Amino acid sequence: MTTAAPPVNQLTPLEWVRKNLFKNWWSGVLTILLIPLILVLGYRAFLFFFVNGQWEAVQRNLTLFMIGTFDREMEWRIYSQILLFVLAFGIGLGTNSAAVQDRAEDAGLPYERSSVLATVGRMWSLVVFLGILLWFASTDDVGGLLNPFLLIGAAVAVLLVGFQAFRFPRRLRSAGWLLTATFLVLGFQVVSGFDVGGWLPLGLTYGIAAYMVAPVGRFEAGWLRIVMRLVAAVAVVAVIRTIYALVDSPGIGWDEWSGLHLTLMVSAIAIVLAFPLGLLLALGRRSTLPAVRIMSTMYIEVIRGVPLITLLFMGQFILGFMLPAGTDLSAVSRAIAAMTLFTAAYVAEIVRGGLQALPRGQTEAGQALGLAPPTIMNRIVLPQALRAVIPAMVGQFISLFKDSSLLFIISIVEFLRVRSLVHTQPDFRAVSIAETLVFVAIGYWAFAFAMSRESQRLERRLRVTR
Amino acid sequence: MTETQTRELARPPFWRDIRVLRIVGQVLAVLVVFLVGRWLFSNLIDNLNRVNISTSFDFLSGPTNFQIPFCGECWVIPFQSRFNPRSPVWEMTVVGIKNTFLAGFFGVILASVVGVIVGISRLSENWLVARLATLYVEIFRNIPPLVIIIFFGFAVFTFGPFPILAESWELKVPGTDDNFLMINNDRWGIPGVSQVGEALVFFIVLLVVLIVAILIWRWRTRVFEQIGEPHHRVLWFIGVVVVGLVVAYLVSGAPFAMSWPELTENRRNISGGFQMNWGFMALTVALGLYTASHIGEIIRGSILAVDHGQSEAANALALNAFQRYRFVVLPQSMRIAVPPTINQYLNLVKNTSLGTAVSYAEITALTKTSIGNGRPAVQSIIIMMAVYLSFSLIISLILNIINRRIQLVAR
Amino acid sequence: MEAGVKRINETDPNANGLGGNQGQRQRNRIRVAAYVGRFCQLTFQTDGGEMKRSKLLVAFFAFALILAACSDDGGGDTTVAGGGEGGGTLQAVLDRGELNCGVNETLPGFGEVAEDGSYSGFDIEFCRVVAAGVLGDANAVKYVPLTAEQRFTALQAGEIDVLIRNTTWTATRDGQEGVNFLYTTFYDGQGMMVPASTGFTTLEDLDGANICVLSGTTTELNLTAVFNARGIAFNPVVFEDNNQLRPAYEEEQCEGWTSDASQLGSWKFTIESEGGADQTIMSEIFSKEPLGPAVADGDTEWAQVVNWSVMATVQAWEFGLNSGNIGSYSGTDPNILNFIGTDNFDPKLGLPSDFAVQIVEQVGNYPEIYNQFAELAPLDGSVNDLWSNGGLMYVPPYR
Repeated sequence: MTTAAPPVNQLTPLEWVRKNLFKNWWSGVLTILLIPLILVLGYRAFLFFFVNGQWEAVQRNLTLFMIGTFDREMEWRIYSQILLFVLAFGIGLGTNSAAVQDRAEDAGLPYERSSVLATVGRMWSLVVFLGILLWFASTDDVGGLLNPFLLIGAAVAVLLVGFQAFRFPRRLRSAGWLLTATFLVLGFQVVSGFDVGGWLPLGLTYGIAAYMVAPVGRFEAGWLRIVMRLVAAVAVVAVIRTIYALVDSPGIGWDEWSGLHLTLMVSAIAIVLAFPLGLLLALGRRSTLPAVRIMSTMYIEVIRGVPLITLLFMGQFILGFMLPAGTDLSAVSRAIAAMTLFTAAYVAEIVRGGLQALPRGQTEAGQALGLAPPTIMNRIVLPQALRAVIPAMVGQFISLFKDSSLLFIISIVEFLRVRSLVHTQPDFRAVSIAETLVFVAIGYWAFAFAMSRESQRLERRLRVTR
Repeated sequence: MTETQTRELARPPFWRDIRVLRIVGQVLAVLVVFLVGRWLFSNLIDNLNRVNISTSFDFLSGPTNFQIPFCGECWVIPFQSRFNPRSPVWEMTVVGIKNTFLAGFFGVILASVVGVIVGISRLSENWLVARLATLYVEIFRNIPPLVIIIFFGFAVFTFGPFPILAESWELKVPGTDDNFLMINNDRWGIPGVSQVGEALVFFIVLLVVLIVAILIWRWRTRVFEQIGEPHHRVLWFIGVVVVGLVVAYLVSGAPFAMSWPELTENRRNISGGFQMNWGFMALTVALGLYTASHIGEIIRGSILAVDHGQSEAANALALNAFQRYRFVVLPQSMRIAVPPTINQYLNLVKNTSLGTAVSYAEITALTKTSIGNGRPAVQSIIIMMAVYLSFSLIISLILNIINRRIQLVAR
Repeated sequence: MEAGVKRINETDPNANGLGGNQGQRQRNRIRVAAYVGRFCQLTFQTDGGEMKRSKLLVAFFAFALILAACSDDGGGDTTVAGGGEGGGTLQAVLDRGELNCGVNETLPGFGEVAEDGSYSGFDIEFCRVVAAGVLGDANAVKYVPLTAEQRFTALQAGEIDVLIRNTTWTATRDGQEGVNFLYTTFYDGQGMMVPASTGFTTLEDLDGANICVLSGTTTELNLTAVFNARGIAFNPVVFEDNNQLRPAYEEEQCEGWTSDASQLGSWKFTIESEGGADQTIMSEIFSKEPLGPAVADGDTEWAQVVNWSVMATVQAWEFGLNSGNIGSYSGTDPNILNFIGTDNFDPKLGLPSDFAVQIVEQVGNYPEIYNQFAELAPLDGSVNDLWSNGGLMYVPPYR
């Protein structure tokens, strides 16, 4: 597929200015009006950021903004978490690019593997934020166990190592994904602790996986195969369970997390928990059983009709009374519950959109093949519908991430509320208010912007492949 | 005989009969939901009884006991009753609903205006304008509304350029001593209407006028459809309403008077006019601008979604840029833009619940204060959620009506 | 995709031509590799390509992970406090080895968080007092920040064991809110601060003014009650916390700032020392604000434990014991000997016999706690001084 590139019109700067700034008279007027405005605003911003701003409040409280009241002696847990997450990210990135390459090869198309740099470049806003953090960290010795530069260096190294997953032979491609997931889990548990109960996620998934791939080819009888698969699964689960029982080191539960760490984790946890619930609700809303449909619809509409803050209030003021006396959830758990219930309704609508967008022919083809309805749903409808809703799900995650700032109002020390702590300290009692607010805003912006970029990219890619 | 036999044979056993299964499935689903709900509810009642918290709604008629911010003697029911700390709790709720509505209403207007400007600007041929609009969208869309609200409250009003109340900037109506606008860091005053006499007759006449105006609208529409004469129904409608207002005003013996804002004698308050406190302005502007960034994207997407051939056709007909937008592109893009835009309105109204961050007395802030002062939390929160639900339902209703109308236009 | 599966199925270990022990190991290795590869292949096999399904799997992992975190007992979510269950809080705290203490983390002098994430403040110290008394370790506290509105719900629902959050003892709270107030640790009263330049001296001067106040507090109710009783018009400007309130006050969005006098004193000091305008605190104190710890109704044992722990700081003061000398007391005063637990004197309160020593050694006696915080008004001669010095600090005898 070689088409000659279209002739490129090289504009001289003057031509460019004329075409883009002074095309007609009102365009010219706008330009002339806007330039001084931009200059003034730019000058004011420059003054604020580099000359007048009292950034000491942020600088000295950098660690407080990042991890809040998290036990400083346990900081290594957060560092390990960051490194493990970065490792998982790197492996995922490498595996993903290799997988895309595989498919391109199968289709006989040329493909150039994307580099780590390209991905990092797409997330430039995060790099900027990281730069700001490093700048603050370098101008003052922030009390911490680890030099931040060392941490960043280690993270980069780990990322590059993880990215080498693309070197896995093709038949082990999926092992890359498995590693990604494993390191995600381990990254989470290095903070929350490898308790006896923590075996569940890894045990469950490895168990299911073992069930699916147990080498049962030599057994003829169907039931024997099933038995052997079960044996394999149970064995794997038992091994993992034992490892956890042996390690058994309690960590720090999420009710003691705070700062930006809490903000990020809470939104991630809530969206992950909301997904299955939302999926069920979406299927329920499209169900042919009127009772199920009505109940799902009612839930979705009621939740979508009220603001998140009312649900958070419900979580704080009512939920504690709705459970039997004695089961007492921490404030963070109740907030996560409220955010999950809230997000599930939105996820349901997103998934429903994906289901509706799927041509009826897909289902009908499945029916024509005589597949059972659950099989049609599992094998035909959901894979396609869920793929189509990924960008919207990322969008929902962004909005949840922004909404997590409401925890401020119910006195959970997340990123925004750290400001209140800072301004209670004797040195910063209600001074530098604007500086800390701008810092927090940049923090939120960096993450939300990076994610929205990613969602737009996914959207474009899906549209192209369609 | 054979036929019946086959049919009976063909009928599956009941545990595989789809009709039975459907019923069983539904009964089970309802049962599960019901049981879980009952379990939660009985726990709630038990626990509340255990710690001696009232489960009745009697508190609504008890006194509020606190003063609502910027509601020294504000109306609970317009021209009927005013709020004071001894007023019952339900009146406080009404004030909260009113304030929520006001913030939502003005926020929606601001968001629409700014959103359309931004959306069109992003497609501008002027590089600078397009870039600025993009910058605006990318900044506002990615910052939590709560942060934006706090920023506006403090950056604009607390630390902003405005003078204190006693030294308000006053913008006079030319040639008079009446203030058209009063600006300070506390509450702005604009002209309003105050009641000076019995107004019942006025409202009755107004109702009649509105009905007449709607009938005329229908009549013009019919004329247009039947004989193709230009309908000018908007002009007709407005004309009738304006004339009707004047007539109603005169007939009822001038029960209203223009009211101009001015400083009170002790220079600590503004009397007369319509007053907007800083919490209201910070909330409305912040939410307006935040939502505008979303609406801008919707507008832009909807304009891009209109087939390019349409614009080219308009160009071929020698329509100028304005006409091209007004008569060709916008009407078509509106159809795409309206449903998501109204969804954004809904979000804006829900986000007014963050007014508590800037001392704005909307329903959430008042409910919160009320709970803090010992009113039962469960009932208060239920009332608050019901209020938001009804707001949402009304907006959805409007959405449905508009959708239907747009589809008629599209026919 | 299809091809991939086939390729793996073809990886017959016997086909690679190696024999012997080494060959066996090699074959085993290949078998394991094939096993893992096939496992992944099968898991992710779908017509849409392996990648998408794999992403789903990652999501599933994450979900399962969180499920586990929920079921995780160590997370501290499912601890049984049974606050209002009629007993058992003491045992629950002992079992947990940690005291859940409801605090305000944004109140200068009473509760604040330092740069290193540690809590400090007058109220915080009393959380530590209770922990030292009950558990013998002043640091075994989990601080739970609460808004003014949430605090009683948190207590009733058993989320916290004790509430030490500058909470005023009132009849409504004692009755309707189901809260049991204990020994008052700080006697306060509501005051009014105005810029000195205004020259205002009485509340009447503020007729029609904006008054800054924190939301959800008794301050707000008092303000309304007092101003209404005297027929003074006012407009409250309500804030969530002081770092929002102070700039509004300094930029003259409100003319008066009402709060507990102790708070106003510390803010006056802060504002003036940072070069702000001079401030006046009106001499009139227009409410009584006894602040102290509170526990849920219905658990007398726990209430006693908290109460006597808190009172031990005052008792030590009265005895002249402080963190320096209580461990080495060598006198013969039987009351003091009982107090420090010599001869295992135990009045069956549920506290260990050496609880007073633990408290005073680890945290300090009342003035030692009080004087750490420059924000509070000087202790000597104030209403919070010892009864023998004309103050209100008076505790029942420990014998």
